[in-house]
Amino acid sequence: MCNGLAVNWRAFFYVYKTRIQKTLAYRFDVYGNIIWQCIVMFATAYFWKALYTGYDTVKGVQVEDMMTYTIVSSMMSLFFITFVEQRVIQSVEKGTVATDMLKPIPLFGIYFFEDLGYTTSLIVQNVIPIFIIGSIFIGVPVPHSTFMLLLFIPSVIMAYMINWLFAACFSTWAFTAINMNPMVQVKKHLIRLLSGCIIPMWFFPEWLSDILNVLPFVYIYQLPLDIYIGKYEMGILLQKMGIQALWLLVLWCLFVYLQKRVTKHVLVQGG
Amino acid sequence: MLQTMKHYSKVSLAHLRIAVLTVMEYPANMLGWLLSNPIQFILGFATIKFVVEEFGSVCGWGYGQLAFLYGISVISHALSMIFFVQGWFMGYYVIEGDFDRYLLRPMSVLYQFCFTKFNLVGITDLIPGICVFVYGCLQIDYVWTLKNTIYILVTLVGATFIRGGIYLIIGSSSFWTKSINDFGGYTQELFDKTTMYPISMYPESFQFVLTYLLPIGWVSFYPTAELLGIPNGRFAWDGAVWMTLVVGIIVFVAAAIIFKCSLKRYESAGN
Amino acid sequence: MLWEKYKSTMKITVNEKCSSAYRKSDHMIQVKNLKKNYVIAKKEKGLGGAIKSLVKSEKQTIEAVKDISFQIAKGEIVAFLGPNGAGKSTTVKMMSGILTPTSGKIFINGKEPYQNRKEVVKDLGVVFGQRTQLNWDLRLGESFELLRHVYQIDKETYEQNLQVMDNILGISEIIDIPVRQLSLGQRMRGDLVAAMLHSPSVLFLDEPTIGLDVDGKYAIRKFIKEINRVKGTTVILTTHDLGDVQELCKRLIIINHGTIIEDGPLEELVERIAPYKDLVVEFYDEEAVEHPKAQLHKQKGNVAKYRFQKADITAAQLIQEISEKKSIKDVAIEEVTIDDIIRIAYHRE
Repeated sequence: MCNGLAVNWRAFFYVYKTRIQKTLAYRFDVYGNIIWQCIVMFATAYFWKALYTGYDTVKGVQVEDMMTYTIVSSMMSLFFITFVEQRVIQSVEKGTVATDMLKPIPLFGIYFFEDLGYTTSLIVQNVIPIFIIGSIFIGVPVPHSTFMLLLFIPSVIMAYMINWLFAACFSTWAFTAINMNPMVQVKKHLIRLLSGCIIPMWFFPEWLSDILNVLPFVYIYQLPLDIYIGKYEMGILLQKMGIQALWLLVLWCLFVYLQKRVTKHVLVQGG
Repeated sequence: MLQTMKHYSKVSLAHLRIAVLTVMEYPANMLGWLLSNPIQFILGFATIKFVVEEFGSVCGWGYGQLAFLYGISVISHALSMIFFVQGWFMGYYVIEGDFDRYLLRPMSVLYQFCFTKFNLVGITDLIPGICVFVYGCLQIDYVWTLKNTIYILVTLVGATFIRGGIYLIIGSSSFWTKSINDFGGYTQELFDKTTMYPISMYPESFQFVLTYLLPIGWVSFYPTAELLGIPNGRFAWDGAVWMTLVVGIIVFVAAAIIFKCSLKRYESAGN
Repeated sequence: MLWEKYKSTMKITVNEKCSSAYRKSDHMIQVKNLKKNYVIAKKEKGLGGAIKSLVKSEKQTIEAVKDISFQIAKGEIVAFLGPNGAGKSTTVKMMSGILTPTSGKIFINGKEPYQNRKEVVKDLGVVFGQRTQLNWDLRLGESFELLRHVYQIDKETYEQNLQVMDNILGISEIIDIPVRQLSLGQRMRGDLVAAMLHSPSVLFLDEPTIGLDVDGKYAIRKFIKEINRVKGTTVILTTHDLGDVQELCKRLIIINHGTIIEDGPLEELVERIAPYKDLVVEFYDEEAVEHPKAQLHKQKGNVAKYRFQKADITAAQLIQEISEKKSIKDVAIEEVTIDDIIRIAYHRE
């Protein structure tokens, strides 16, 4: 696919741009989404504030950090949206997958750039407004230090890739399972609950968080957020980023393998 | 009038039969949801436990009481999924022109929209709801007198109508925006945040909104607080159980009016 | 049902009575100055336009149906013809109560569909060719059974109606097959039965033969003819298939750009648009002869094509007169095809 990427750069960029335009086309959706997301973010913030009444720090985390955590995780969950599963399921269900795969541009490449386009438009439309509204009404989510912010950016990019690759690998399941929708739901909720998106890992019992630290989920939300609020020392964080990079590599290999297998499967059986 | 009711209930029964037959046609589909939905709610409930263990109690609610609340919330969610989930997808109905058929039949469109499509998958949400609810009842030694049983049933009916009415109102916006505003995910998230935890933990302004403007407080918080005798915030009313039913009827009637007005803007699909 | 009896005993008299007695006085459908506007948001081009439209979007009014009036008598079969996007479907949807007109009046059986929707649709059958009302996952019979409850048809009438339609369409062969496994033609037959179960007096068909094979089209047309003949059902169909028009309809309404541009019998339209025929004559050499009443339209080698007005001269006469001047090897008479006529009608202003 690396090679393909160079060749198909123009096509991918086109897909990316079109997706942004499509998303921007519906302004009512945009306003509606922002209102909903703000309500949910406020609810989460007040949830923690209420729990913290009478406590200064819990598990070494202050209430201000918890507010920062809430705003940043709301922003992240906004642009970690992927459509790759839906697209693959639809093309398998409709039976267009064989013709889609025969197109000169790699199928998953198109899906990736569509998702990237969607993410880009979401940053403009939703993430920035949420950041501003959150800063005004809840408090400016200040990163622990400038250096942590610099570390946060590559970590978030890796997290985005892990999330996308995980979804892409997961989507290849559509070629075998009959109905994927329940599985997609399970996956979505597993990620939300076990990645620290809603409830930070440090509230989990130790045995559970030990297990989760080995799984890829925590490297989607928890690690970038840990970095942002400076939960651990630099050494530990860097070490965790190493594991994150390792997971990215593993998922990439798995993705390449599954993609090859699926292509073979489709070309032999015709979808 | 009586004649019409007889007619409508016969049609509903016929559709219920169809729904059952359809489920039997694809048993694997149901099986998938039977695995996925309970996992989602049981896991969600487990994470609450971690938080409660850390903080002791939430605004005076112990773990057993929270389980009771969570149970009411999930059961009413399940019921609303069975009858009113279409509200989430109304945008698709509007864009694809699916209201054509409803308009061509000599029956009320709202009736057809709500009570001729039974989503039996919702039953898979009922299972975890009942499990957690029973767990909660055991924890707090809830006394099952006839009066208490009736109270629970009234609460569930009212709560289901509040949810259904809100889904319908949100869905009706699609007639005006002419786009697929799929707010299902956000709606669920908001309801989760406001019905699974006591809303007395939120600031008073937010409590006011949840009591009068977007009356989600009545879905589970007010009736449960009254049933269990827990302090329930500034805006609570006496007789909250019956109020839930009244609010449910008001919200649903309002939704019916809004739906009727919105339907006038229906433009069918394409050509 | 009464019409069951009519079918066997007195079908011819009843049928004639229907068509002659009702045609003059009783109008099943009346449409007066019907208009429908759509308001759409104007989309601007490019990324900049997309961002701009987030803040402010321009509205644009589209007149889908401009000013349409017509009347249809009981028992008529009328075809709506017109290019894609001409306003046919919009008109049919307004007549069936799906869309509310911007202005103008519609009366079906004396009632306005957008005010008395439930009353009007009780007596209406509607089939959308591109979309089924049948339950995709279950056997065909389940969908019929459901409609029996929706339209409150009593068991006896239901069985009888089904029996009659089975005679025409052979529906009993497919009634136990899940709809998703039916061929398009079979599905269409199912949809027609579903629309006629409650014996409506008006039947709207939106492209009923689209995508069907020869057998499928034949079955559908036969059904429409039978149901119209026996029950006196008023049928309105939109179509792109001129075979439907030739086979079924005495009357044709052509809609283009939201207005009616033709309304009348097919033959009349043919007469008006193409009052001529072509005579193709093959001679033994390349020299063609002239004739005062025919125009030499085309000539290629030994073959000459004459165009003559039907009012001026008959084909037989023309052949005779030409052959008197010069010996003829072969002749053929060409009429303008219906396709050509419709195309001419569409493009004429």
